Amino acid sequence: MKVVQAMLVAVVAVVFCSAVAAYQRVADWGYQPEQSNVKAEFAWSRLSYTSNLGSSGYGGYGGYYGRGWATWSRDYPKADRQFLIALNRLTRIEGRPTEQVVNLDSDDIFNYPWVYAVQVQTWSFTDEEAKRLREYLLKGGFLMVDDFHGTADWENFMNGMRQVFPDRPVEDLENKDEIFHVLYDMDDRFQVPGEQYIRTGRTYEKDGYVAKWRAIRDDHGRIVVAICHNMHLGDAWEWADDPEYPEQFASMAFRVGLNYIVYGMTH
Amino acid sequence: MFEFFFKYPITVFTKGRLVLLGAWPGWVLLLLIVASVAGLGWLIWRRLPEAAPKMQTWRAGVVWLLQSLLVTLVLVLSWQPAITVAELKSQQNLIAVLVDDSRSMAIADSGSDGKTAREAAAVRSLNDGILAGLQTRFQTRVYRMDSGIARVEKVDGMQATASATHINDGLKQLVAETADLPVGAVVLLSDGGENNGGIDLETISALRNRRLPVHTVGFGREQVGHDVEMDDVSVASRALADSRMKATVSFHQRGYAGGKTTLVAKDGDKALASKDVTLGADGAIQTETMFFNAGTAGVKRVQFSLEPLGGEENVANNATARLVSVSGEKRRILYVEGEPRWEYKFIRRAADDDHSMQIVSMLRTTENKIYRQGISDPAELADGFPVKAEDLFRYDGIIIGSVEAGYFTPRQQELLREFVDRRGGGLLFLGGRFALADGGWGASSVTELLPTFLPNGKNTFHRDPATAQLTAAGADSAVMRLLDDPAKNVERWKKLPYMMDYQDAGSPKPGATVLAEMNVGRARLPLLVTQNYGRGRTAVMATSGTWRWQMSQALGDPTHDMFWQQLLRWVAADSPGRVVASMPVQRLMDDGRVRLTATVRDKEYVPAPDARVVAHVIGPEGASALVDMRPVPDNAGTFQAEWTAEKPGSYVTEVTAGRGADELGRDVLTFERTDGVAENFHTEQNRELLEKLSSQTGGRYWKADELGRLPREISYSEAGISVRDTKELWNMPIVFLVLLGLMSGQWMLRRKWGVI
Repeated sequence: MKVVQAMLVAVVAVVFCSAVAAYQRVADWGYQPEQSNVKAEFAWSRLSYTSNLGSSGYGGYGGYYGRGWATWSRDYPKADRQFLIALNRLTRIEGRPTEQVVNLDSDDIFNYPWVYAVQVQTWSFTDEEAKRLREYLLKGGFLMVDDFHGTADWENFMNGMRQVFPDRPVEDLENKDEIFHVLYDMDDRFQVPGEQYIRTGRTYEKDGYVAKWRAIRDDHGRIVVAICHNMHLGDAWEWADDPEYPEQFASMAFRVGLNYIVYGMTH
Repeated sequence: MFEFFFKYPITVFTKGRLVLLGAWPGWVLLLLIVASVAGLGWLIWRRLPEAAPKMQTWRAGVVWLLQSLLVTLVLVLSWQPAITVAELKSQQNLIAVLVDDSRSMAIADSGSDGKTAREAAAVRSLNDGILAGLQTRFQTRVYRMDSGIARVEKVDGMQATASATHINDGLKQLVAETADLPVGAVVLLSDGGENNGGIDLETISALRNRRLPVHTVGFGREQVGHDVEMDDVSVASRALADSRMKATVSFHQRGYAGGKTTLVAKDGDKALASKDVTLGADGAIQTETMFFNAGTAGVKRVQFSLEPLGGEENVANNATARLVSVSGEKRRILYVEGEPRWEYKFIRRAADDDHSMQIVSMLRTTENKIYRQGISDPAELADGFPVKAEDLFRYDGIIIGSVEAGYFTPRQQELLREFVDRRGGGLLFLGGRFALADGGWGASSVTELLPTFLPNGKNTFHRDPATAQLTAAGADSAVMRLLDDPAKNVERWKKLPYMMDYQDAGSPKPGATVLAEMNVGRARLPLLVTQNYGRGRTAVMATSGTWRWQMSQALGDPTHDMFWQQLLRWVAADSPGRVVASMPVQRLMDDGRVRLTATVRDKEYVPAPDARVVAHVIGPEGASALVDMRPVPDNAGTFQAEWTAEKPGSYVTEVTAGRGADELGRDVLTFERTDGVAENFHTEQNRELLEKLSSQTGGRYWKADELGRLPREISYSEAGISVRDTKELWNMPIVFLVLLGLMSGQWMLRRKWGVI
């Protein structure tokens, strides 16, 4: 009888532990990267990269940051999909309804000439990855980075960027730059906060008090890396349907994103 | 031998006219012949039953034939046949002797030893009795002939040093200068190396009008032993800077069949391209194609040469040059795109690296927004696609991307047609979800411009992979040339990454050229199809996925950009301006006469016959001239002028057209006069030309060893002061021989058949 009881307890324990483990695994992975088979001219491509915070990388989505997501997948995929709704509704671009996750471990990224990356203060590259990103950008690819804040994040972002472009300068974009006029005229830009604005009322995070619109250009003067520092456009897209998130931030975020895509498809 | 049997030279028979001197009319002779022949036949037939059995067969027919011929001959002789022929009167006529003294006559391949210079052999022939023979009955005048003719007192002093041979001009000059002299005949001693190509009809007519026979005497070998000679180079005379140019070089060789040499294109000392060639059969024209870069703007003198081979007898004919005017101006292409897409971006980027091309684009980013790039001022395309011809015709080419036909009004569609047909522009249609059949272009009025019959219906655009491969026409096209080596180029195309999408463009129209095809699964569809339409050209590129060639190949791979730059140049480079100047040849050989032609159109490219057109010619040593060009009747908008470039060297001509105070346009033309170069080519004796000249004028072609008979035969001429002489034929030895032969033949046959 004791043996039966012991076995029963053991079975219950195993089932319980399995359930907990299964629950935790789902919680760790967050959103599965659903690669769509829909064919369209434009695919919103999100760059997954190896985090320098001890993450096991994009393959396992195992890096913990913030609320537990892998750093590259912040706001993913709701931000992406809400943005794609706006893209298809407001432009003549044929956008795929769902996003595409790309990485720098294979040449597949060359099939997606526009890529979006967030939390880039945590990115890290192997030499091969940095080379692939450099070639991607010089061949005609376009990279938009978003959602990193303050001095420390900038330095960490630049650590990765210097691996890609050791010598290319980063410049502050002026209002007259074409990227701010290619679709919408955006002379009056302002800082777009993340969802935390709802709770804190602050438009900034860390010491990133002023939004920085920056870029790296190729030899022809075309922007190949558009840098949105001290702002969180991804959150604005994600929370655009939240009645507490101010509309002007969401609108600005959509306009920036659309301008950057049209620029990336025309320059 | 001929004279032994026929009593008179052959010339008498070729030039004379047969007459019958007998008093009775010719029809009587004919009647008698018929009656005699019939009578003989009747007699033989009547007596046939009594004849020996052997004679009752075909033998009776032979006897009848021989007897009939005999009777006929006797009857003809009874009517006193004779030849009347014009003959120059002795001591009253002049014989013009023209000796070619151009440089090719210095080639030592004549005389009995085959090592005497042609000129020396000609002089020796004259001194060895020809001149003396002529002078017994005629006066002679000796001329040296090169670019013209000049009289010489003695033939001994002539040197074969002149830089050109213009037989045509020399004969024309002779006819003009001796118009009031009794010239009985012309003797031309030459190798036939006419630098201007041939004898024109005008000269032949002038000689015929005076019934002046030209007797030609050929010197020089008719085939050289060992030589490679450049025949022609076909290359565009205009190009945009950094264009890939195609040259078609033709040449022939003797003595080196199967040998190898190198074909080189050079601009000054700078080698532009080279190609190893294997020489073909002796005498056969061989054609090779080579590609080279036009380089920077300016006038280029590109020399094409074949490396000399060991033992070659003439290396001066291994090279020839062509002038290429390389323009630094930008050609503007209007690109209309209906949606933001990657192909648009990457085509623009390819054009960014081409300093001769500028893409002015209007892109529909939203339903109601157009994003313009490459505009020259804020007003350009501000109102969308042009609605006036003069606005649209400012562009040299147009690209229609993924945009529906319905986006254009009927007037704009008609302007597209006129842009190609009248303006002479290039129009390229790209594939896309709103393009070609899917964009309704098949049902539009523009469909006739397309080089393919578009499929019916829609859903012809597919976002599935397709690979490209060249057709035979594509392999030979400069547009598709990624590598100079033709075989490697074909392989390169096969190895290109797949394109992201494809579109079924239908079937090519008759006259269209498919340069590349797509492999889609097992199907093969046209990828790039071109055709000429009116004054311009159109093309379909049935994909929007070539951008992958740029993104999927190694950084720095030039394939994508090179292809698009070449295709864009095809679209725009040959679009004519409002003023187009031209001339038949841009390299004048020893003759500076130039005929300039200009076509002038107004801003809407309608011919402008009321324009004022002036050519400003600037030449070597400060030569400068303003030449008014006159309208050509029945050819509205075409103007012509003739001018002479007196000095050798390069010339630049700027043709300017205006109407009132407005300038309609201008064009620049370059040409070159080279003296002495043509003499290095075609150094073999041109017997064909000499024979043709003599036969067309009633003279005869002579070989040097036949000249002994020339003094006598030359007298049968209707030119100068001549009389018609009647020469009886009854006493020709051949007549008696034939009579004897017919009689003895009949007798011998009868003996043989045993009937005598």
